[in-house]
Amino acid sequence: MFRRKRSAEDFAEEIKTHLELEADELQSSGLSEDEARWRARREFGNVRAAQERFYLKGRWASLDKLLRDLRFGLRSLRHSPGFAATAIVTLALGVGANTAVFSLMNAVLLRSLPVSDPDRLMYLRTNNPPHGTGTIDSRETFSYPVYDALRQQGGAFSPLMAYVPLSGSKVAVRYGADPEEAEGDMVSGTFFSGLGVRLVRGHAFTERDETNHAAIAVISYNYWTRRFARNPDVLGTALYVNGVPITIVGVAAEGFEGVEGGGSTDFWIPLQSRAELNAWGNPLEDGKNYIANQTWWCLRLIGRLAPGKNRAQVVAQLQPVFQRAAYAGLGTPMAGEKPPVLSLADAKNFPGYSEQYGNPLRMLMAMVGLVLLIALTNVVMLLVARNGARQREFSVRQALGAGRGELLRQLLAESLILVTAGGALAWGFAEMATRLLGRWAQIESSLAPDKTVLLFTLGVLVMAALLLALAPLRVALAGGAQLALKTSAATANTDAGKSRTGRVIVALQMALCLVLLVGAGLLIRTLRNLQNTPLGMRIEGLVVFGVKPNIQSIPEGVAFYVNLMNRLRALPGVESVTVMEERLGAGWSDNSAMRVDGKLPDVANGSSGTVRSNVVGPDFFRTLGVPVLAGRDFADSDTATSPHAGIINEQFAQRFFPHQNPLGHTIGTEDGRYQMTVIGVVKDHKYRSINEEPIPMAWYMYAQIPMTGAMQVEMRVRGEPLAILPSARKALQEMNPNLPLIQPMTQRAQYDLTISGQVLFARLAGFFGFLAVVLVAAGLYGTLAYRVSMRTAEIGVRMAVGAQRGQVVWMILRGSLLLTAAGVVIGIPSAMLVGHALASSLYGVKPLDAVSYLLAVVGVALVALAASVVPAARAAGVDPMRALRME
Amino acid sequence: MATRENEDDRIALLQGTLDLLILKTLVLGPCHGQGVARLIQRQSEEVFLVDHGSLYVALQRLEDKKWIRAKWGVSENNRKARFYSITAKGREQLVEKTGEWRRLTRAMGLILDSGNGPQSEEA
Repeated sequence: MFRRKRSAEDFAEEIKTHLELEADELQSSGLSEDEARWRARREFGNVRAAQERFYLKGRWASLDKLLRDLRFGLRSLRHSPGFAATAIVTLALGVGANTAVFSLMNAVLLRSLPVSDPDRLMYLRTNNPPHGTGTIDSRETFSYPVYDALRQQGGAFSPLMAYVPLSGSKVAVRYGADPEEAEGDMVSGTFFSGLGVRLVRGHAFTERDETNHAAIAVISYNYWTRRFARNPDVLGTALYVNGVPITIVGVAAEGFEGVEGGGSTDFWIPLQSRAELNAWGNPLEDGKNYIANQTWWCLRLIGRLAPGKNRAQVVAQLQPVFQRAAYAGLGTPMAGEKPPVLSLADAKNFPGYSEQYGNPLRMLMAMVGLVLLIALTNVVMLLVARNGARQREFSVRQALGAGRGELLRQLLAESLILVTAGGALAWGFAEMATRLLGRWAQIESSLAPDKTVLLFTLGVLVMAALLLALAPLRVALAGGAQLALKTSAATANTDAGKSRTGRVIVALQMALCLVLLVGAGLLIRTLRNLQNTPLGMRIEGLVVFGVKPNIQSIPEGVAFYVNLMNRLRALPGVESVTVMEERLGAGWSDNSAMRVDGKLPDVANGSSGTVRSNVVGPDFFRTLGVPVLAGRDFADSDTATSPHAGIINEQFAQRFFPHQNPLGHTIGTEDGRYQMTVIGVVKDHKYRSINEEPIPMAWYMYAQIPMTGAMQVEMRVRGEPLAILPSARKALQEMNPNLPLIQPMTQRAQYDLTISGQVLFARLAGFFGFLAVVLVAAGLYGTLAYRVSMRTAEIGVRMAVGAQRGQVVWMILRGSLLLTAAGVVIGIPSAMLVGHALASSLYGVKPLDAVSYLLAVVGVALVALAASVVPAARAAGVDPMRALRME
Repeated sequence: MATRENEDDRIALLQGTLDLLILKTLVLGPCHGQGVARLIQRQSEEVFLVDHGSLYVALQRLEDKKWIRAKWGVSENNRKARFYSITAKGREQLVEKTGEWRRLTRAMGLILDSGNGPQSEEA
């Protein structure tokens, strides 16, 4: 409320009336008209003063004052544009970095699932499925019999929902003519109603749709926008998924992109039974899909607790049912085998995200918090320095009657201007940074800043504004009114120049800077180690893509791939071509025990019997450039009819064939159904990811193993690897126009994906370390320059009485080196704590890595030197006569 | 400053008492500013000196607080004047303030009449 109803004119009118009434009265008591008027006026006193008091009491006045303060603040900031720009940019960097990292953290760790009442949603978990089962994830996936048994338990969940991707990555879809890829899940009929996700168009699924395996789909709002430009006519049209026509019947609410972190689901279909739409895109196993195959634990389960039930009650009710259903298709548990245990995990937030990004993000948040701290102290120091120089101005104003309140309001107005400008800049900076961060982190779900982020940023800004206004107040008032009477600014300012607080702050900033540099150094060395890790193959020139043909029989499948490889080999620039079931560097592996010479091997104490295996094509190791140490590579001549051949790595040979030649021995699957003779031993190489340790591996020949589904094609080409893709695509589509190249990329890029999280983390840490260094350098420079300028008179005196230039320079440098030493002494123990906290994110570097510490110390010292040189040179350039004459 | 011949015998109003006096005056009926000043002076047997500038600022303050309300009207001798009247809220305040004032004057009286003789000024 700034408006008062009554105008100043009205008030003046009333006073005029008063004077007239008074004069009337006096006149009636016998005075002449002039006399009466004069007496009335004299009696009233100061009319103007009354009017002014009326005005000042009005609420307009306070707004007016605020505007005046702001105008004055702007004017005084315009007088020192360098200061204003530095302060604003520093604030923007500090606040912007915090907003950006907080947006990411908010999206990843804090934001809830976009469903109704997420607190009552639970993921189902188990400790370990029974022996003899195959799993996608030993803790998070379940078999169809388990799902079926649990959902029929009334009163536990209402409802229990299953969901399973149609592919480990993306699935081939076609809308209109062009084949493309999308992320799709098969889900329970109760999926949308159970989660409480609204549909913006069309309708969701029913339980009957699940029973009938209805060929209908709901697409995500994001996919609708991205692929269909929000065309409402898309409802009722067909989306071909792996060649199967599926009718689009609905569009899910904006923001809902599935219940798993990481990717974003584009479409959902009810649970299907067709071979083309098996779970995870796997080929049928012995003709059985995920429903019929009772020992394949592939479904993810999420449930909403039934009304009135808590977690413990639901687990207690379901545990016996779960343990019985877990052995469907397996018979009774083996002797001594512990049955699996069901448990529930909160589904409120995205669990995958918080495991993957939780710790790095918290570390980053702490880092940017430190950066903000440095930025704020910088601006405070700048303000203190500036206000120190303005002490005479403040003193004069106090002497002229300005109260402490008025000075505070003035400082508050200035800090408000700085913080507002800095905040606006920070918001723009953060938006940009968040987008970059999202792209680097490959987080596809929405990172757009929401209300929480806005509140966070505003909170930070308000804190900053108060801090910036209050911190310099002490200095502003310190002088008091009497300072105005002192004649020499130089003598008056010496106290401020030697301020102990200033030195403590600089030392602390040095310490913070050291901590950030050590953290950044450790992570960047980790990054180096990861990037320079030898993969054990010639990685350059390799390109990989997936193919998912629709194949009915084993011979047809082999024929398809033989045909495809021959076509690809014929392309110009292609050196060699092979296929594999599991893509290298995709983070996946097929692990199981293996028979050696007909029996499960006894392994030495402590080592594991687990072997990693892959099904590959001819010329596999030649194409990869992995050296064959003994025997030979797979060849085109290894066919379904020739003796079954297997290849092992060094680890396998050492563990299972110690001190003997493995060639000619037989190896086989755990169940003994497939046997093959070892024809080669290859050198250990990185298989699943860059930061793995080698474990025993075996490779089967694809033509000799009953598999028919998707394969990954690996090509070694001359020149730019990706340039081969258009002709490869053409070759594939000559065979079948429905088939896209799935996730084509260089093999190098595929491996790099396995360290993308660490790379991102290290780059960000490096960036924030650098930012801290820049800020500390700027702050130190500002402080030193200010201190030197305050000591001009003192230096003048010193030089007048015979100090040499070198001595003056040394005096200044020594000051800042002492501060650096103090900062290092405080910083190193703190950095050790940080290094310890980072330990799990490091690769090939110890938390106490001497090089990182040394570099950080050198870095801080260089910053101190760089920031001191200019002020020191300026100090040495002081002309003693001028310095003394200045006042 | 307002002055009159017998100025020395008058007492400047205590802080806060002016509000009370204005409210009391207006209980008698609507009145304009000059009338309020005159009435206070008369009823206090010319002891109180009302600074007219302060009076109008006080009237405005009371109006802002909604203890009194104002309306332009015509005075008995046909001049346009702003007439103030007390509101229900103002009456409540008057009762309360009057009670406070009574307690204060009683307490002052008790101390001043206790016969301990004059104390040093700073005590």
